Amino acid sequence: MINRLFRPLKEGFRGVIRHGAMSLSSATAVTLTLIIVSLFLIFTVNVNQMTEGMEQTVTISVQIDHDHESAEQEDQLAMEIKAIEGVGSVTYYTKDEEFQFYLDSFEDEETKEVFEPFRDDNPMHDAFYIEVTDGTQLEEIAKKIEELDGVHKVAFGGQSAVQLISMLRTIRIAGGVLALALSLLAVFLIQNTIKLTILARADEIAIMRNVGAKNGFIRSPFVVEGAMIGALGALIPMAMTYYGYRYLYDVTGGYVVSKMFTLIPAKPFALYASLVLLGLGVLVGLIGSFFSVNKYLRWKR
Amino acid sequence: MIECTHVYKKYRNGTNALYDINLNVAQGEFVYIIGPTGSGKSTLIKLLDGEEIPTKGTVGVIGIDVGKLRHSKVPIYRRNIGVVFQDYRLLPSKTVFENIAYALEVINMKKDLVRRRTREVMNLVGLDDKANSFPNQLSGGQQQRVAIGRAIANRPKLLIADEPTGNLDPAMSDEIMSLLEKINREYGTTVLMVTHDLTLVNKHRKRTIVLEHGHVVADLAEGGYVQHDQ
Ligand SMILES: Nc1ncnc2c1ncn2[C@@H]1O[C@H](COP(=O)(O)OP(=O)(O)OP(=O)(O)O)[C@@H](O)[C@H]1O
Ligand SMILES: [Mg+2]
Repeated sequence: MINRLFRPLKEGFRGVIRHGAMSLSSATAVTLTLIIVSLFLIFTVNVNQMTEGMEQTVTISVQIDHDHESAEQEDQLAMEIKAIEGVGSVTYYTKDEEFQFYLDSFEDEETKEVFEPFRDDNPMHDAFYIEVTDGTQLEEIAKKIEELDGVHKVAFGGQSAVQLISMLRTIRIAGGVLALALSLLAVFLIQNTIKLTILARADEIAIMRNVGAKNGFIRSPFVVEGAMIGALGALIPMAMTYYGYRYLYDVTGGYVVSKMFTLIPAKPFALYASLVLLGLGVLVGLIGSFFSVNKYLRWKR
Repeated sequence: MIECTHVYKKYRNGTNALYDINLNVAQGEFVYIIGPTGSGKSTLIKLLDGEEIPTKGTVGVIGIDVGKLRHSKVPIYRRNIGVVFQDYRLLPSKTVFENIAYALEVINMKKDLVRRRTREVMNLVGLDDKANSFPNQLSGGQQQRVAIGRAIANRPKLLIADEPTGNLDPAMSDEIMSLLEKINREYGTTVLMVTHDLTLVNKHRKRTIVLEHGHVVADLAEGGYVQHDQ
């Protein structure tokens, strides 16, 4: 049983060593693609984080008409708002709370004094604060809410933020797609080089089948070999990502251009990103060799 | 043991290699297959070990319809038969011992059993002292004996050999012949041997099947074959 797990590892390792030159060229192909993937990965994840941060700042405030302040009416309105597509969380504040917020927004006590008399004749409205699930729909959602009964006034912040969000979203998707495409390219490259190492051992595979080795038995050492090559190829990109990102974070002070574009803190992220690269390298090697052995196995009956 | 009925083989490129082959071989027999080059001998072997699929007819071995096996089941079927080729087909990076042991590891035999059985087989094929040699350090006859050892290691009921003496000189051929006869006699293993070597066929007389242009033209129970005019 232990032997069943151990044999592919041992044979796979031997394979890497015995076919050193080919292993190295496969690993180099992985290294090059993973470096580029790493750049896209860091970029995309950061853009993603910035977008999410910005989306949270985008909210719609809905003031409720003074003649619509009964509990039933407000519950009704809340339900209608929640039914609108794209509406995330809805938070309710009473006009007293609103008044208090308003007061609290002043620093000096004197101004607070000035407004204090209004507490009993509160001009504020009860209000809903709405987070949207999709920043690009902000305007449409606001319009729909405006048409509802009992709405006094709708306001939302950051039209420019909305545009930025949609732009970042496009960038993020493009980055993700590119990273994926590059990973596929890496699979293709490693599949090709591993195909060469397998072709060099075509006789070996034929012999294995001749003496009754099942496909899985033949395949497993090659797959392990592929995974090891993938891991080997990931080493340099991992180091570059780990140290590179920490350096970038230190140099920029954690944000680009303005405080709005904060970078993900280097502390766990640089490590995670490099582990992702390791995983990706192993996966790419695994899949690549799996496919090329399979292809060869099919070749020979 | 072997039952071929109305077997035809036409290769994908259109070459007709076998026509209407009907063949019955009983357990424990020793049978030669002879015939001129291109007559379809290797094709017949490939049909028997599952490497090729018949175009028509059924190839039955130990009750299995070999032509109908799924790709993934072919290796498992092969555990019931041993195959020996003219070019030995040993794993060059493994020692003699490892080459023979490999056929047993493949079927998940326990390690100590593998070791014991491999020693046994090496003794049987007369290579006790070559355990740690690599194939390229052996003579052709010795390599072929390793291949035979590997083929019979898990005690198959059928041993098929495609020109096992094709690359060997007469003395070595005789050695291999005696080894195959010994396996046939002592284990009751059915042996099917393709050969070009008429001297051998006439010296060690056995049932002889003659192929020509893909047809069985003679099946001589008493063996011996005198080449007729072409
Ligand atoms: N893989 C293949 N694809 C197409 N044609 C083939 C293939 N293998 C063999 N043939 C053809 O089938 C016919 C029979 O070939 P086969 O190898 O069975 O002959 P043989 O009797 O073993 O000959 P030899 O004594 O030279 O080994 C020949 O005409 C050969 O060219
Ligand atoms: Mg032949």
